[in-house]
Amino acid sequence: MNLCQKTRALCALLLCALLLSACGQDAAPADTASNLTCTLSISCTAVLDQLPPEKAGLLPEDGWILPATTVSFTEGETAFDLLQRFCREQEIHLEFDQAPGMDSAYIQGIGNLYEFDCGDRSGWTYYLNGESPNYGCSEAVLQDGDTVAWEYLIF
Amino acid sequence: MPRDTFSGYHPLVNFLFFALVLLLTMCLLHPVSLGISLLCALAYCFRLTRKRTVLWLLPTAALAALLNPLFNHRGATILTYLPSGNPLTLESILYGLAAGGMLAAVLAWFACCTVVLSADKFLFLFGRVAPALSLLLSMTLGFVPKFQRRLRTVLEAQQALGQDLRQGGPVRRLRRGLSLLSILLTWSLEDAVQTADSMKSRGYGLPGRSAYTPYRLERRDRRVLLWFSLCAAVLLLAWAGGVLSWHYFPQVDGALSPWTALAQGACLALCATPLVLDHLARRAYARSLQALSGKEGS
Repeated sequence: MNLCQKTRALCALLLCALLLSACGQDAAPADTASNLTCTLSISCTAVLDQLPPEKAGLLPEDGWILPATTVSFTEGETAFDLLQRFCREQEIHLEFDQAPGMDSAYIQGIGNLYEFDCGDRSGWTYYLNGESPNYGCSEAVLQDGDTVAWEYLIF
Repeated sequence: MPRDTFSGYHPLVNFLFFALVLLLTMCLLHPVSLGISLLCALAYCFRLTRKRTVLWLLPTAALAALLNPLFNHRGATILTYLPSGNPLTLESILYGLAAGGMLAAVLAWFACCTVVLSADKFLFLFGRVAPALSLLLSMTLGFVPKFQRRLRTVLEAQQALGQDLRQGGPVRRLRRGLSLLSILLTWSLEDAVQTADSMKSRGYGLPGRSAYTPYRLERRDRRVLLWFSLCAAVLLLAWAGGVLSWHYFPQVDGALSPWTALAQGACLALCATPLVLDHLARRAYARSLQALSGKEGS
């Protein structure tokens, strides 16, 4: 093979390697033998009338992407771990990033509804047992019987 | 390479065509428009340069398609999950393809533009309006090709003198390379000084200086300008009416009505104009040749 063919073969090989490595692995299934449960819900009811038209078709009409559901979790899992695992299992779209200045993940979008879609001050937040905590979701270690509610609000 | 008909038109026609076509490519995200623009650009580029190197733009577009999903995770169709935890969606791949196609089309159109809109045409168009800027632009744009040609000349001359850059040990080659660079720079600088002197002596840039205009708006130029305005008007109306809208997130969707087909037809008509003009001119020329040889034969 001449130099040109070798270069092309190398590029093709590199591309294949890149693609294969980008294929993620599924998250490990939760250990259902433990008895720890909590209630998880995801809603965008607050902005039902302000949804962008191309996204309104994908979201449920009542605004509850996930109505309050009892979910089991393992010891030491945080609110973020639970959300990520559950969204993967139920194939709900989720995008997150590293929160600037905080030691936690930052949820940019759930179900293709992204922050700033309904204005400058719209975005996702979570409530732990009815209260909005001062820390990120990666720091909220869950206890048995907790209620985690994810809501899309305009602040 | 054979001279293309469209290059022979008035520079204003050339400039307007490229401006319209670039605007069209950059503003519309509709996959049909992008496809039309890309195909016409590649075909015209091949017609002008007769080289297949223009096809290397396609892998660049494909690369953009592969890189986009790495940092864009929007889209309703999740294919798999990336190591970072975010999803790899089909829509982000399609959007990457569209963006890559747009990039390739723009690059191809610019390649055509450099062949058709030569430095003197550019100067002619903008010389009166902004002489300093047009001079700067024409010098900057012409710099690299001029430098390349000079490099080739100096290389060949040095080879003939026995100072071949490709032979000898590394030290000798380095010295020859450095002397080559010095020759090139000296030549360019001297040439620049001579050009500046010549321009000053001919009063370039003085107010009230008239210029010889080798280009005049002929009947065919006027007809093509009318044609361009017609296509542009159709496209503008279509865009204003939302007939050409397209979005990739959260799902790939957009306008696909009969009006869209009409607008895409206008898009194709606009982008293929130089190729069509060239084809028509060549056919007319062949016919006239046949007629002449027919007369001589009889």
